[in-house]
Amino acid sequence: MNTALAAAALSTAAAALAADPAAGKAKFEPCLACHGSGAAPQGEVAPLLAAQPDNFVQWQLVYFRTETRKDPAMTPISQQLNNADIRNIGAYLSSLPPPKLAQGKDEQPDLTEAGEQLAIANHCASCHLDGFVGRDAIPRLAGQREAYLLKALRDFKSGARRGGGVAAMPDAVYPLSDDGLQALAHYLSRLR
Amino acid sequence: MIRKPKALLGIVALAAAMVAVPGVQAQGLKHYDSSKKSFWEHPPADWFLGDETAAQKGLAPKAPPATGVPLDEIQATLKTIKLPKGFHISVWAHDVPSARQMAWGDKGTLFVGAFGVGNVYAITGPEGNKQVKVILKGLKMPTGIAFRDGALYVADIDKILKYADAEANLDHMPAAQVVYDDMPSYTSHGWKYLVFDKHGWLYVPFGPPFNEGIPPTSVSQIRRVDPATGLAEIRALGVRNSVGGDVDPRTGDYWFSENARDWLSDNTPSDKLNHISRMGEHFGYPYCHQGNIPDPKFAMGHKCSEFTPPVLNLGAHVAPLGMKFYTGKMFPKKYRNNIFLAEHGSWNRHVYQGARIMRIVVDPKGRHAKQYVFASGWLKGKQDFHGRPADVIVAPDGALLIADDWANAIYRISYGM
Repeated sequence: MNTALAAAALSTAAAALAADPAAGKAKFEPCLACHGSGAAPQGEVAPLLAAQPDNFVQWQLVYFRTETRKDPAMTPISQQLNNADIRNIGAYLSSLPPPKLAQGKDEQPDLTEAGEQLAIANHCASCHLDGFVGRDAIPRLAGQREAYLLKALRDFKSGARRGGGVAAMPDAVYPLSDDGLQALAHYLSRLR
Repeated sequence: MIRKPKALLGIVALAAAMVAVPGVQAQGLKHYDSSKKSFWEHPPADWFLGDETAAQKGLAPKAPPATGVPLDEIQATLKTIKLPKGFHISVWAHDVPSARQMAWGDKGTLFVGAFGVGNVYAITGPEGNKQVKVILKGLKMPTGIAFRDGALYVADIDKILKYADAEANLDHMPAAQVVYDDMPSYTSHGWKYLVFDKHGWLYVPFGPPFNEGIPPTSVSQIRRVDPATGLAEIRALGVRNSVGGDVDPRTGDYWFSENARDWLSDNTPSDKLNHISRMGEHFGYPYCHQGNIPDPKFAMGHKCSEFTPPVLNLGAHVAPLGMKFYTGKMFPKKYRNNIFLAEHGSWNRHVYQGARIMRIVVDPKGRHAKQYVFASGWLKGKQDFHGRPADVIVAPDGALLIADDWANAIYRISYGM
């Protein structure tokens, strides 16, 4: 382990002390109905949340709570959470292994290829990192449900979703066509 | 190279060849078309990316903790803050999400603007029991606020709003009056800092909506705006992202901090402290950085000697934000008219620096500038923030308040008992 990794491990340990993943797990129990446990999502387009970065989970809950991000289901749920609940849920979800949806053969390899090219040309990995595993307030994209990825991209494009203070998503997707968004969603959903 | 798909290799090689041929460099420059409305509503998607090398990949602005830092952790951090002998730091208020620029009301209310969450706060109550009230919400990055003659002024990205008789109506703010709106609508480097001069005009920065490029001619400048009439003038040109400044109590001149371009390297260019000594001075962006580095692509034949040099180079990627001349009487005499400056700390550097309060001693003409670290300790290890100072203000009793938009807190630094 090099020094950078050791420092990262230390700061993760320090952050973990402040939050209680077990309490987060209990709090997340009612959420399983839509979000599933990682392997078996239930709702139409609810995202898989296992292994999402801690601060990403927390920021989205704060955005829902302050109605910066609007959703008929999530707004009332988030408004019943206090700061400690939000920290605990973030700690719990980020501690889970990444989701592994069952995937058949890729029926649209051209779409996958187009999505990969778009991801490169638009510098997606600069923030989401190689492998699209996310970090900090930036979400994991690899292996997310395709329908949810497409919804999120379309919401950024339409302005329905803003992102954070300097978040680049509305600007990043603005020049892309809907075909492009579909290609990106398909490519990212098939990543492992 | 970080991007290595076969299809793009040819384009990269072509761009390199163009740069190598004398006389056609201009074709290799990044071009932004600002002639259409879409540019102002949707700035370039690469506004803080696009020029990074493979070694720089993964550097990105850090998001603060979504729920701030719990009070007991803030208290623990303050125990580790280094200050000169005789100074003390304490929590003055907390749970102030995204706290940025501060301004005093006439009756002792502290108004605070915010970065991401769109709020403006009023903090009232006795020392030791400060109450934080959200008085405005849903604004666009209202970092910049100012107060004068009973009215609160808020920069809402593309307009400056006035709330008359604000301090008497904290529970129900009056309707906003737009006092100035000749401003672009993008948020990228569009957030502001507002400073009144003694004539009642506001200094207002206009940053370019990208990292490095030839800016549209109406931005990369500092204007002086009269909110009473809507008249405005351009005071400074060639300014990148400035979100801090103050009027010198000795002369009435405007001084400002400036964030230099990113992606050049970890150690260059330096961020700057500037002084406007005459109207219309050009401070170098995008042609020249830190007074002596012509931009590798965008110098376009200009020499650094054509531009006003900085009063002081503050260091690379320290991110200087709010600043104030010290006009209080609590601190020892040598602090009088010194500049206190909040460094927000790095993101575009592998080993962060900044996240501290600097003290700068400089004469009224900008000569003999020296800087000293005044308060530090919010940055631990290479990249681990425990707080990020974003603004400073002198309290009526002479103490120095610090806004921290990472911990969501306001601190008070006092001297003596």
